[in-house]
Formats: sequence, structure tokens, C-alpha cells
Amino acid sequence: MKNPYIILGVSQDVERAEIMKAQMLAMKDKKYSLQEIQIAAKQLLDPAKRLAADFMFPAKIKARRIQIIQSNLVYQDINVNELNENAFDSIK
Amino acid sequence: MEVVIILIIIGIIGYLIYQSLPNTKFEKAQAYFNAKNYVEAINVLNGIFDKHNDAPAKFAECKLILGQGLKANSEKLKAFNEILELRKRINNTSSIANFENIEAKALYGIAKIQYEDSNADIDKLNQNLKFIDNANKKGLETDFNSLRTKHYYQLSESYFKKAIEIEKSNKYPDAIQVYKKSIECSEKSSNSTTKYNAVARISICRLKLNKSIDLQENSEVQKSDKEYQKDLFYRYSVYLLKNGNFQQAENIISTHLNFNSTDIEKLRDILKAEKANIALKQITQINQKIEQLYDNSLSTEEISTFYNSLDSIVSSLKTVDLELSEKVLAIKPTLFNRLLTNYISIEQYGNAINLIYKYPKFWESPELLKNLGICCYGYTSKGLLTEKNYKIVISGWLTAVYSDNVILKSLEDTSWDDNYTFSLAESIGTNYSQHEEVPENVNYDDISESNISIGATQRELLQQFETIIHKEIKDHQLSIQVNDFYDKEKESLEKVVNVLATDILFPTPHFAISNGLNNEIIKALDNDYVEYSNEEALEAGVPYIKNSTSSIVYQYFFANDIIDRINSAIEAVNSATIKKLNTKENKGWIEKFDNISTTVEDSLFNTIANKISEDDENEALIAVMEECIAFSSYNEKLKHQYSNYVANYCISQVNEENIDNFKALSLMKGAYLRSPNNPRICKNFITLIRFNLMDILNERTRKESDIYKILDWVKGNMSQTYKQNSSELSNARKEILGQLRANGVDISLFEDNNLGSILSGHSLNSQGLKMKKVLTYLTDLGSIQETSNPLDRLRQLRQQLNLDDDLPF
Repeated sequence: MKNPYIILGVSQDVERAEIMKAQMLAMKDKKYSLQEIQIAAKQLLDPAKRLAADFMFPAKIKARRIQIIQSNLVYQDINVNELNENAFDSIK
Repeated sequence: MEVVIILIIIGIIGYLIYQSLPNTKFEKAQAYFNAKNYVEAINVLNGIFDKHNDAPAKFAECKLILGQGLKANSEKLKAFNEILELRKRINNTSSIANFENIEAKALYGIAKIQYEDSNADIDKLNQNLKFIDNANKKGLETDFNSLRTKHYYQLSESYFKKAIEIEKSNKYPDAIQVYKKSIECSEKSSNSTTKYNAVARISICRLKLNKSIDLQENSEVQKSDKEYQKDLFYRYSVYLLKNGNFQQAENIISTHLNFNSTDIEKLRDILKAEKANIALKQITQINQKIEQLYDNSLSTEEISTFYNSLDSIVSSLKTVDLELSEKVLAIKPTLFNRLLTNYISIEQYGNAINLIYKYPKFWESPELLKNLGICCYGYTSKGLLTEKNYKIVISGWLTAVYSDNVILKSLEDTSWDDNYTFSLAESIGTNYSQHEEVPENVNYDDISESNISIGATQRELLQQFETIIHKEIKDHQLSIQVNDFYDKEKESLEKVVNVLATDILFPTPHFAISNGLNNEIIKALDNDYVEYSNEEALEAGVPYIKNSTSSIVYQYFFANDIIDRINSAIEAVNSATIKKLNTKENKGWIEKFDNISTTVEDSLFNTIANKISEDDENEALIAVMEECIAFSSYNEKLKHQYSNYVANYCISQVNEENIDNFKALSLMKGAYLRSPNNPRICKNFITLIRFNLMDILNERTRKESDIYKILDWVKGNMSQTYKQNSSELSNARKEILGQLRANGVDISLFEDNNLGSILSGHSLNSQGLKMKKVLTYLTDLGSIQETSNPLDRLRQLRQQLNLDDDLPF
């Protein structure tokens, strides 16, 4: 089922009167069939059905903007060549 | 005198000849041998060496014993070698065969002395091994093998010592070769200590050559000398660090070098520094990604990779800087939102569903649950349901739509609805006014033009989803599966909603089991049952059972399952299974629940009725029905069903002569036993009694005693209905007596008191006695009351006209 808001080209907060106007405009545009436009308008004019159409808009989840991570770490030089390979020589 | 002298001479010559014979000499040598006089034995045997088959072997044996007695190894060797030389003197093959046993002993003696004299010298040991290989070992195979093993053992030690010296001179490839020889000899002599040490030394040599090693392949190094292990693992850690393999180095250090030492501390410091450097690099990369994220230059795939990499980064950062790891962890939710939003906007619903399902306790967020619902809807509308994924998608959708909180969340996002209020009165997600907190514009009041039904919205969503299921699933089989699953999940969820008044999420069974929420639901339903004794709560909980058996819901399921198993056994006409299930314990489970115990009889009755409608002449079903009657506490209907089935079966089988009268009587006894006051059963049973007595009288049965056994039982178990209908038997008696009288027989002989026989002076033969017994049973089992029922009269008339061969009803 297509989204009635998209068919009528209206926003989610559109008022009842504007729905009627949008229906006329959509019929002029002929982008959707007459039946689709009628069903879409009917759906948005019925509050319970309109709520069902609203359900299909993803919920916005509150989330903080990610900040750049500050770190106190500093780069350390590593010199493995200083290691004594024979530290535990077992055939001395 | 001359004769005597001649005889003496002849005797002496004869004696001398006898003494010079080989056998006599060998016996003499044997006597010396037995007396341990080996030198004399040798002298004698030397004389018959070529003349007696056993002489060479005995000769060699004497030499061997003498040789073994010598002190110096050189003298022994000389003696044993002399024995070996004897082979050249032997001409015949049978002597050789005897000689070879002694020769092998001499060879063994030589090999043993050479081993003892080798002083662990590798060349001498190898040389002696060759000597052993070439030696005749006849009869001494085990001894030679044992000696050979000793050589290898000694060689493994000698090679190891040699290799150590080579290693000390820094010739590692040569040392490795000699260690390998040591391993080879260790394996032949089970010298595991030397083998493990050699394996460890080879690894050390490889590391000294700056070559890699595989410790998984060489797990034997962990059984080597502790000092070797310490040396090896330290060198290996250094090698790994030099080659940038910090993770493996850390594993080796933490596992094998877990002791205090300044050198080990240096390794740990390097690891720490490396981790800090890696962390720094990771933070730099994360910051770059964050900038790209807000520049919108990261593709959805890149965001996904970034998001999925965070867990392992957080895990590694924890050991370096806990605070830093928490900062990284804190970016996950925002990144999750961005990724989810992207997936939904580009309609990658499958990825979105997977993402949500991986988010911990996502169902606790109405927003996430709503988005899951949208994704499930979108996924289905794209026709992407398959056998593998439909359960996840459908259960996700239903759980979202049935959640009132999810719908209520939708109200927050728009302003058009500000002039309305919304009612949960008809909500499909609640059956009671149970939500603890609802928004200001939400109530439980009646629906009106301005008070909008949330239930209507939910039903609209369900209807839209059902439409796309029907429309988008082209595969017929999948369509059946999906619709069946959808209906079951929905029905199960509705049952829970109808019962529970608690403000919790109501998931479908599949959703609950997949996300570990099922036990919470079962617990709530258990509590409801405990509080209100509402078995509907238990019924609702059954689909939520996974593997826990401790709930009341499970007990209810178990009790129902017993009934299901019995019904299946009825279907399969398997009385043995029902008998097994008929235990006190199983009955106890059923009695615990009214819903089940009061419906058992109907359930079994209906299953049996279906079975009868398939086949009404199946004798095996009789035993099944008997077991069902025994199982069910309430069983009057089952008894009635049983008795009628048995009666019908007997009537048809007797009339068609498929079973004899006795078999029918036996079966009907069961029917009479269970329905003693059923007139139809009693009448047919009585007729069969008459048939059987007539069979006895006319000698048409061999089961006379079995028949009388049943009839004796009947005598003690005559019901009121039986008595009222038993005139058939007394009438039969009358008829028999009438015929006898007409034939001029003195019927007084058949009187029970036997007075007739006394008066007439006659006595009954065996046939007469048989008839008398039948007549007596007809008297005992039949009623003497005359009936005024015209139908009974008619029946009597039919009997007299011999029209009653068939069972009446």
C-alpha cells in the first residue's frame, strides 16, 4: 500500500481542508490513478486510518551529536632490538 | 683253559669295539657334561665331532658355558668367536640345525659385550647394531630386540649431547640435523624425555636462525626441560615482537612467561607501549570517520563497517584506557541511529531488521520497536519473505503493532492530531486499563468523532499487512506457511492480551522465545492462574514454552500432551501405548486442571467416533476403547460408545459367520460389564447365552468349560435390566422340555431335585446329563416371569418357528 501523504504530496501535519485541495491537484497531475488518490484522501481524512499512515514514518530516536574524541595518549617509541635474546640461554 | 682265554680275548675285543662306537662316546660325553666336567666332555666330543649329529652342538655348548664362566670380556669374546668358528667344521645339515641355537647364544654374548664396551660411542653403537642385524638370532629374538632398543636409547642420548656441543659452537643447522637423529632414536626406544628436549632445542635453534616456529605443531615442547621452555618462549616472544606480532607475543608472555624478571618486564613494557600506540591510531581513525560522518561523505556500507568495528575497539581500549573506551562506546547509539535511518531511507529493510535485532533489549524502546514494525512491513511489501526469514519478520511486525506504546509514540511526531483525543478502549494491545502512564490526550473513554480509536488504527495496520501477504507471496507453499504462522502468532498473542492485566510488552511466542522474553510472559501467566485459578492463562502460555519445565504453564501443557498422545494412539489403534500412559502420575497431572479433566472423555469420545466412522468393524478398536475407559475418570459416554460398538460388531460378525458364538459371547461380556443396564446390550447378551447353550447341547462347540465359566460369572452379576429381559432363556427351556415330552421322554429326569429319577428308577446317560446341565443353566440365567409385552410374545413365536438364528438387533 502506497503512502497516502506521498500520493497527495502533502506533509504529515497537513490540515483537513488542505487534503481536499491536494486531492484535486493530484487528480490534475495524474501521477497516480484516480482510485489511489481517492483511497489516499479517504485515509487521511479518517483520523484512525491517518494514524496508521503516520505509523509508517520512522520514529526519530534522540541521540547526541558525536563529538571528536580527545585523548591524552602520546606516541611511544618501541625499540625491540635492545632486547637480550640470550637472557634465558639454557645451554650456557 | 684255552677256550676260556679265547673267550676273554673275544670279550675284551668286543668291549673295546663297543667303547669306540659314536653313541657310546656321546653318552660318555653327556655324562661328563652332566657332571659339569666340560673339558673332558669336549675331549670326547672332539673325537666324534663328525660321527654324531648332536656332537657339534654339545661341543659348542660346553665351549659356551666355559666362555661364560670367564672373567675378562676379551677372553669371553675369544671363546664365543671359537664357537662361531665351529660352523666351518660341521658337514651335515642336521648337525647345523642343532648347532645354530648355541651359535645364537654366542652371537648374543658377543653383541652384549660389544654394547657394554661401546662407552656410548655413536660409531661403536651403530656398528654393533649392524652386527645384531646380521646375526643369527635363533631362539633369542626377544633378547636381541631388547638389546637393540638399549642401543637406540643410548644413541638418542649420545646424539643429543653431540647436538648440544654443535649448538654451542653456533652451527645451528648441523645441530638441528643431529637433534633430529636423537628424536629418531628416542622414538625407537621410547625415550620421551630426550625426544621432548630435542624438539625444544630444534625450535630454539630455528629462532636463533631467526626462523619462525609453530608451537601448535610442536606441543611436545611444553613437556621439555623447564629451562629449555623458558629459553624457547622468551626467544619466541622476542621474535614475535620484532616481527610486529604483538597479539601472539602477548599470549605467549601471559601464558608461558608469567614470572617476575627484568627481561620479561621489558617485554611487557613494549606490549603496553604498542597497545597505547594502536589505541592512539584507532582514536585518530575514529575521529576521521566522525568528521566524514557529519560531512555526509560516508556511505551506508562504510557507516556499517565503522559501527561493526566499534565493539572490538572498545574491548582492546579497555586494557589501555578505560575512560577512552567509554567515550568510544558512547558514540554507538548515534551511529546506530544514523545507520538505521539510512537503511530505512534506502529501503534496505533486511539490514535494518538485523541491525535492530542486534541492539541490546531493543524491544524496551517503543521507537525501535516501531521502526522494526516499519522494516518488517517494508520487507514483506517488497516480496522478500522466504522460508528462512518469515518467522522473524512476522513476529516482529505483530509484536510492534500490538504494542500500544508503539502507537502512542506515533502521536508525538505530528500536530494534526492536536484537536483529537485517543482512546485505548478498543485497543488490541490491552484488555484492561492497565497502562500505568498514558499521554494527556489518551484515555479509556468511549470512541467518538473526536475520541479516536487506537484499536481501529491497529486493526487497519493488521489489515494492510494481511493484504500485502496475500498479494506479495507468489509461492503457494510459502503462502500457506506464512499465513498459518501469522494466524497462530496472532491468536497466541491475543490470548495473552485477553488474560493479562499487567503493563508489560506482549510479544508473540516466536518473538518472545527468540529474545528470551518467554519466561517473563509464562511467569505473569502463572501468577494470574495462582491468583484467579484461570486456566485460560495456562492455555495462553503454552506456545511460549521453550525448554523450562518448572512453570504451571508447562504442567498444563504436559497434561494436555498426555491427552494428545492418547488421541494419537487411538488414531493408530494402539492400545499398548494407551495402557502405558495409564499411570497414577499421568492421571494426577490431568486431575490437576479442570479444563482438561472435564474434557478428557469428550476428547477421547470424539477421536474414537471419528475412527469408528472410518471403520466400524475393527476388532482392535475394542481393546483401544477399553483402555480409554480405564484411563478416563469420567467414562459413562465412553462405556456407552464401547458397548454399542461391541454389540454392533458382534451382531454383524455372528450374522456373517465371521466369528463363532463363543467369541461373540466373550466380547459381549465386556459390553454387558460396562453397560449392565442397557436393554439392547442385555438382550443381545442373553441371546448369545442361548446360542452358546444350544451349541453345547448340539455339540457344536469345544469350548464348553469356557462358556460355563462366563455363564457362572453372569449368575453372580445379573442386572435388573438383564433380569427383565431374560425370559428368552426360560422360554427356550420350556421349548426344549416340550419337544422332549412330545418325543416320549420322561422329563422328570431333568428336574433339578432329581426326584423323577428316584421315582422312575431310571438314570441319565452322558448325553442326558449334558442336557440336564444346559436346562439347569437356562433356569438359573432365565426369568420365570411371563411377559405381557406383545413384542416379546412375537419373539417367542419366532423362536418356536426357528426364525431366530440371527441376533435380534
